[in-house]
Amino acid sequence: MHLRFEKIEYKPIPVRELLLEIKNLSELMIDLAYSAALFNDKELAEDILELEIRVDTLAYLLELEILVAARDVEDAQALTGVSQVASAADKISDAAADIAAIVTQNIGVHPIVSEIFEKVEERLTRAKVSETSILVDKSIGELDLVARMGVDIIAIRRNKDWIINPKEMEQIKGNDCLIARGASLGIKKFKELSEGKKQKLED
Amino acid sequence: MTQKQQTRFEEIVQRFVELKDTSELMMDLAYSSLLLNSKELAEEVQKLEEYMDKAHTNFELQVLSSKFKKEEAKGFLGLIRLGVVTEKIADAAAEIAEVVLRGIEPHPVLKLAIKEAEETVTYVHVTENSPLANKTLREVGIPEETGMWVLAIRRDGKCVRPKPESKIEVGDVLIASGYAEGEEDLKKLASP
Repeated sequence: MHLRFEKIEYKPIPVRELLLEIKNLSELMIDLAYSAALFNDKELAEDILELEIRVDTLAYLLELEILVAARDVEDAQALTGVSQVASAADKISDAAADIAAIVTQNIGVHPIVSEIFEKVEERLTRAKVSETSILVDKSIGELDLVARMGVDIIAIRRNKDWIINPKEMEQIKGNDCLIARGASLGIKKFKELSEGKKQKLED
Repeated sequence: MTQKQQTRFEEIVQRFVELKDTSELMMDLAYSSLLLNSKELAEEVQKLEEYMDKAHTNFELQVLSSKFKKEEAKGFLGLIRLGVVTEKIADAAAEIAEVVLRGIEPHPVLKLAIKEAEETVTYVHVTENSPLANKTLREVGIPEETGMWVLAIRRDGKCVRPKPESKIEVGDVLIASGYAEGEEDLKKLASP
């Protein structure tokens, strides 16, 4: 195994922004990683390993900011807390990378496990978008599924590529494979919408 | 695969899902403890961490004692490793909670980052005119209404982990997680 380090140049980024992105990414990665393991998806697993490198970079930049910001003992006391939380979030992203490695190293998870898991886990789902689904050609922002049903699309697989954490303007296409997370009721509705079984966004 | 084996598999996966859910609950509670600077919540995370250690050991023992065939072994190694990961996440959550237990007011930037995150934790006060008052969690269906999950109820300085039949009382603080979009809806329900 070879280690890769990004060449990191210091640029001032507010601590808040760095922390926010580390927190968001680490949680996103966990959900994506479970999906990659259960659906045995290598490309997704590899993308997670890439994201892990990104989080490492962000964590390093944050540590620099923190060290630069401390002027006295009081500052330092308050800032060690920030540093500890960032390092914990970084560990969570490492944990996600560990899950991804189960897939990239061809260890895999027994198919029966995935089968049972899909029955009991109600927070994560994978749905294929049918050509007749009303989601087709609509943007994530326009659909606003988060507000509508508490469902967040965290990744889109289109042909061979993954779009991770898609932006508001990203449009959904027929045959896309979507990974989403949310509350169980919303998830159920979301699956039906993707598969074209339900043709109305609202009840 | 025999019926007996199938049941055994299901048990193992159920246990794993419990580990996964507990580790994620711990993360949410840990961030909540920072947001509220709440020692009780932070201690709850530490208690769960002890529980996780035991549950994880039991899970591994169960996998190891389920006589699977050689060619199936690899698939189970994956499952064991998933278990290890939940344990790592639990540890990370405990580290976050430690920041609160140290007794120094968390840096404001932490609260900001938690509030602005895509998945957030929040807390609301239940007032007298709230439709939630004196109803059970099952009756009010907060996830369906708001997309937020109640993680803990804080009452008289103590934290209770809610069950569906837990009754919401006036003066309760509900600690919940979900997408930031649901926060306003929950606030409106709890303190209209």
